[in-house]
Amino acid sequence: MFTMNRDGSSRKKIFLASLLFMGLAHLTFLKQYVKGAIFALIEIVVLLMSPHIVRTIVGMITLGDPKPGLTVFEKDHSMFMLIDGIIIVAVLFVFISLYAISVRGAMSTYKDYCALGQLPSNRRILTELSTKAFPVTALSPLVVLILFFVVVPLVFSACVAFTNYSSPAHIPPNNTVDWVGFDNFKTLFGGNETWTGALGRVAAWTLVWATAATVTCYAGGMLMAVIMHETKLKISPFFRTIFILPYAVPAVVSMLVWQNLLNGSFGTINRTLIELGWMTQATTIPWLSDATLAKFTCVLINLWAGFPYFMLLTMGSMTAISKETFEAARIDGASRFQVFKSITLPSVIYQTMPLIIMSFTHNINNFGAIFFLTGGNPVVADSTTTSAKGTDIVVTWIYNLTLNLQKYHYAAVLAVCIFVVLAPFAIFNFRRTKSYKEGEL
Amino acid sequence: MANSEKKPEAPDKIPETKMSESEKIKFAEERADRVERATRMAEERARAAKRKAGSPESATSDDSGKTSDESAIAKEKTLSHYNAIQRFRTRTYKVFIVIFLSLISLVVLYPLIYAVSAAFSPGRSISATSIIPFGGGFTAKHFERLFTETNYLIWFKNTLIIAAGTSLSTVLVCSLSAYVFSRFRFVFKKSMMLALLILQIFPSFIGMIAIYVILLRIGGLDSLWGMVLIYLAGNIPYNTWLVKSYMDSIPRAYDEAARIDGASSARTFFSIILPQAKPIITFLAIVSFTGPWMEFIFAKLILRSNENQTLALGLFSFVTDRKNEFTLFCAGAIIVAIPFVVFFVITQKVLVSSLAGAGVKE
Repeated sequence: MFTMNRDGSSRKKIFLASLLFMGLAHLTFLKQYVKGAIFALIEIVVLLMSPHIVRTIVGMITLGDPKPGLTVFEKDHSMFMLIDGIIIVAVLFVFISLYAISVRGAMSTYKDYCALGQLPSNRRILTELSTKAFPVTALSPLVVLILFFVVVPLVFSACVAFTNYSSPAHIPPNNTVDWVGFDNFKTLFGGNETWTGALGRVAAWTLVWATAATVTCYAGGMLMAVIMHETKLKISPFFRTIFILPYAVPAVVSMLVWQNLLNGSFGTINRTLIELGWMTQATTIPWLSDATLAKFTCVLINLWAGFPYFMLLTMGSMTAISKETFEAARIDGASRFQVFKSITLPSVIYQTMPLIIMSFTHNINNFGAIFFLTGGNPVVADSTTTSAKGTDIVVTWIYNLTLNLQKYHYAAVLAVCIFVVLAPFAIFNFRRTKSYKEGEL
Repeated sequence: MANSEKKPEAPDKIPETKMSESEKIKFAEERADRVERATRMAEERARAAKRKAGSPESATSDDSGKTSDESAIAKEKTLSHYNAIQRFRTRTYKVFIVIFLSLISLVVLYPLIYAVSAAFSPGRSISATSIIPFGGGFTAKHFERLFTETNYLIWFKNTLIIAAGTSLSTVLVCSLSAYVFSRFRFVFKKSMMLALLILQIFPSFIGMIAIYVILLRIGGLDSLWGMVLIYLAGNIPYNTWLVKSYMDSIPRAYDEAARIDGASSARTFFSIILPQAKPIITFLAIVSFTGPWMEFIFAKLILRSNENQTLALGLFSFVTDRKNEFTLFCAGAIIVAIPFVVFFVITQKVLVSSLAGAGVKE
């Protein structure tokens, strides 16, 4: 009954069989019983679970109904329903991938049969299974972890952007959450003056901050590296050791120390300046409490913390430039500055370009530098409503919205914005990777 | 192209695999150009050497002041006068540079010295400390308080467990996956690698609410292993790529030899590939070990009970508005920071090359 022709005419039959039920073609036509049984078992499990799957997905779509009569524990918890739904969708995605793999496997076995005239022996199937078992087992932790701790949370975040999950009226389990479409986006992008204003302010400062932080650190690091490389002082290694200290000290520690040193009234820096007679108690510099000055302070302190990284980076790249190039330039009569301008700078920039991009994206997400230095302070006009303070960047604002205000829906919208802004950089860096250039991907 | 300057033999092989005719020609031209430049440079160097031997004048541009040059200079009075001016200039230039570097060093060291002095000075808040480092007396009582009155040791132990767990699991998962990505062909390989690359740019706390709920579901809230899972998952995307690109550079001949000798894939990985990839594995182990020490957001979100706090949370609690114990904070902070500083100072040479390597390789 389950016979195949060698001339390829049974292609359709096998394709349909493998599509009809996972592993069916393996069990019947191709006589790969172990493989077929595993595939069939997977499908049976999924089918047995199907009522649960359907219920969960329906739950994800409705996000539960308010059931006023029930106690808190019996009510629908919209967020659990949403997450369970996403997890189920992820599992279904894996299942569909497996299905595709099984169909493809069946088709390729049939192709081999057409060419060779016989099915692979049981022994060959077993050895094939055991060699394939290694990559599958080795990759499964990665797949599971990435799926549940990276992909599902990101998808969840994206979904929340389209709900009204927020304090005070829509916090489960007491209340349910509903889908609201693009309402949150509308509010943030023009619908509500306070929120739109806050978003514009924070977004602009985030971009200014990321650019300024990257440029200053890069320029500062390169300046130090070039000075030390050019002068070839005997004590250069000593200075280098001092200069990498900010890189070595954990950011939380150094930023909190700076925060205390820069404190307006009792910080050491202002007290020192008073002692020196350069100012009086009344005219102290509000390093961190004036909205504009605090931004400068942030960039300045970030320069302190960030230049060592680029200094080391530039030093590394400069040693990679061949000595002959320098020599040739000097023999041709180039001055030091010309050598720097035409040889060192272009090659260092070329080599460190991906890292500049990475540093820019890192600074957009540089939670520590802002949160531990200023905590987002000082407070500005709309801070009580929006929780966005003077030096808050988008990520610290997300943190405030989530943990202080519990406006999860707006936090999610901001996360989506970060995604949209950062995606081009990811693609740019991807196109520069070796694997992409060599055509592997 | 960045690689071509380092080891010119590598790009010479590439054109045979994939390059259009015009590109091939261009490449050959470039190569000819390079050869020509090299010979020209060699000639010029020879000429320069001759010039150097003949007239010491040209040596003045070389500020390293070699003794043989100096003895030659001494012969000509006018020239030596000129040279003295030159040397004076170089010397003032150098003094200026040293002063500049010292000033920068002062700025760099200022907060660090101040933190160390605060750790040893009496008083609790920053307003009680002297503005001159070590000017307000010396005491070790903050360290004493740290170990007797606070949970510092518990925080340290928790953080150590999380860091060690993260480091170990990251190395294991990333290197295994990188090996599979580097050596095996399978369906969805491309899409999986692309997904990793895109996921890599998002800070994991964007999805912190979902991670919280998932940990709640599997009973991982307020637990150290829950933290390890979060950090591990966050480390995977970038580091798998990093290790994979390193493993791509290990010759496949090794694996094939092992396979012919009958080694299984697992055996090949553990006894052939892993030892070969030791530099990147060490780097990965260190980076993933140092990361959790000062991570704050997830620790704050996940770890609630007193006995599960980490160092970052504990130290932060010293300087929040309610408690202003800056000196205690400094004492706790320098205990953590010292191993980091020592480590970075010792490995700075390696850091320079590995950072540059990361730049070139990506």
